[in-house]
Amino acid sequence: MKVLVTGAAGALARIVMEQLVEDHEVVGVDVRRLLDGRLIPGPFEYVRRYNQRRMADVFRRHRPDALLHLGRARSMELSTRKRYDQNVLGTRYLLELCAHGGVREVVVLSTFHVYGAHQYNHVLLDEDEPLRAIQTFPEIADSVELDHAATTFLWRHREARTVVLRPVHIVGPSLNNLMSRLLRLRRCPKLWGYDPLMQFMHERDAARAILLALTGDRVGVYNVAGEGVVPWSRAIRLAGRRPMAIPHVLAYPAAAALPERFFPDHLLDYFRYATVVSDQRFREEYGFTPAFSTVDTLGAVRR
Amino acid sequence: MDKWLPDPLDEAAIEHLERTTPVNSAGFDPFGLDLGTALRTLKASAPIYRRWFRVETHGIENVPEGRVMLVPNHSGQLPLDGMLLSMAMVLEGKPPRLARGMVERWFPSLPFVSTLFTRCGQVVGDPDNCIELLRRDQAILVFPEGIRGSGKLWWDRYTLQRFGTGFVRIALETGSPIVPVGIVGAEETYPAVYNLKPLAKLLGTPYVPITPFFPWLGLLGVVPLPVKIDLWFGEPLVLEGDPNGLDRDIQAQVERVKDEIRSLLDQGLAQRPRLTRRGDR
Repeated sequence: MKVLVTGAAGALARIVMEQLVEDHEVVGVDVRRLLDGRLIPGPFEYVRRYNQRRMADVFRRHRPDALLHLGRARSMELSTRKRYDQNVLGTRYLLELCAHGGVREVVVLSTFHVYGAHQYNHVLLDEDEPLRAIQTFPEIADSVELDHAATTFLWRHREARTVVLRPVHIVGPSLNNLMSRLLRLRRCPKLWGYDPLMQFMHERDAARAILLALTGDRVGVYNVAGEGVVPWSRAIRLAGRRPMAIPHVLAYPAAAALPERFFPDHLLDYFRYATVVSDQRFREEYGFTPAFSTVDTLGAVRR
Repeated sequence: MDKWLPDPLDEAAIEHLERTTPVNSAGFDPFGLDLGTALRTLKASAPIYRRWFRVETHGIENVPEGRVMLVPNHSGQLPLDGMLLSMAMVLEGKPPRLARGMVERWFPSLPFVSTLFTRCGQVVGDPDNCIELLRRDQAILVFPEGIRGSGKLWWDRYTLQRFGTGFVRIALETGSPIVPVGIVGAEETYPAVYNLKPLAKLLGTPYVPITPFFPWLGLLGVVPLPVKIDLWFGEPLVLEGDPNGLDRDIQAQVERVKDEIRSLLDQGLAQRPRLTRRGDR
């Protein structure tokens, strides 16, 4: 099977591709260039945007059997508008190309953020819960629409086997995402008086879940999580750091005033209210059990 | 330190709690319970239970093993009644059990308190949370009166307010017995005479009570009156019926539970000095 992997310049994609290449052919594509000296196990294609003409060319030249869409732009990376372009328009274009190009397997990496951090959230949200994220912050609409585009594709194009994964915070020594970076700060910020439950997943577990989804035979939307939940302050300590409490009445205006790449203010709610998902469906239908415990996962973040 | 604050539980009890509370590698259950924090809080607040309120339980052996729903009357502005009932289940229960209280939905927006409550095993009162906990054979604590009960004024004491019906549907769906509980005494801890609604709206709280002491004495006015509190546990009720039945049928079951609580309250009040006695309207 020939697998087209988006977001191929990222660290998570590299872990996935390294394992994938043992049995399959891999083509990487990204809107970022590969860092100097980094190699991926297969050809790499650079595109300016996923919804660019050149993307169709990549499909025509490589004729992939499967699409692994890991290239969701995170909040730190781009402005809200550019993120919308890449995540929503890009994803829609990619899925359209899949429909035309006869791609049989599609795996889209969404995020648990789509459920939103809300004080009314119950614990262990399953996949059928409403996607409340945009209720308080429209800045996160791109993630919700990406998820929506993928689930719509799932129903409309039954000829392709589509799996949408909504993972919890993926952290690990080789990742450089917001959560991993936060946990590497010497003093790690938390909101004073709030200590929401969070879920973490080791990068290797996440890669394994993605591979399972790609090579399995089920169709559907799945939450993917690690071993258990842990309050944010405990997570900081498990990562070997010390928390620094900031009153929320200061944190919200501060995050809004600072440039978005410093800290996206629409993610602050996730440090105030719990968003705990249930990964029972994925565990049962795919037989997935995380190999890393919560303690080991957080302990591994430090490089 | 131990002289002033003796351990309220013996080692066997703690060991039993540890064995019956499934937690992950970091020491938490999915609802955020941390047994260590819960036990430390219990130790710190045991004098409030023993000395201040002199809590006495009657018929706690009625609480069956496995999944169970404790349904008491609600009162007293702050959820002290729920706290004392949870403490009674740990301190006096044979074997000790952690009863998971269902708290108000606005609760997670409160800093500090919400964190502590979560660590001690309290959960946001969402039907999905209730069902999930009961499926895990936990004891849960539900106040179907909600803020209608806790926000009552002095002259409404021991008058049961309208009960929500969700708890009966959940009990039917999960096949959980309901243990009615009459809490006698908590209704007198804060003699509220007025509810300052505009301020409550401004603060985002369900109510702001005015008592002879609050807000006139400031923080001192928050101290509850040292009323003796009796907890009367009724026989478990095993309800039968369709969880998706008509409201009329569910309401009949709710009334049955309500009647049980009312008779427990009457029984309890009959044994107290006249001053506080008052009939149910």
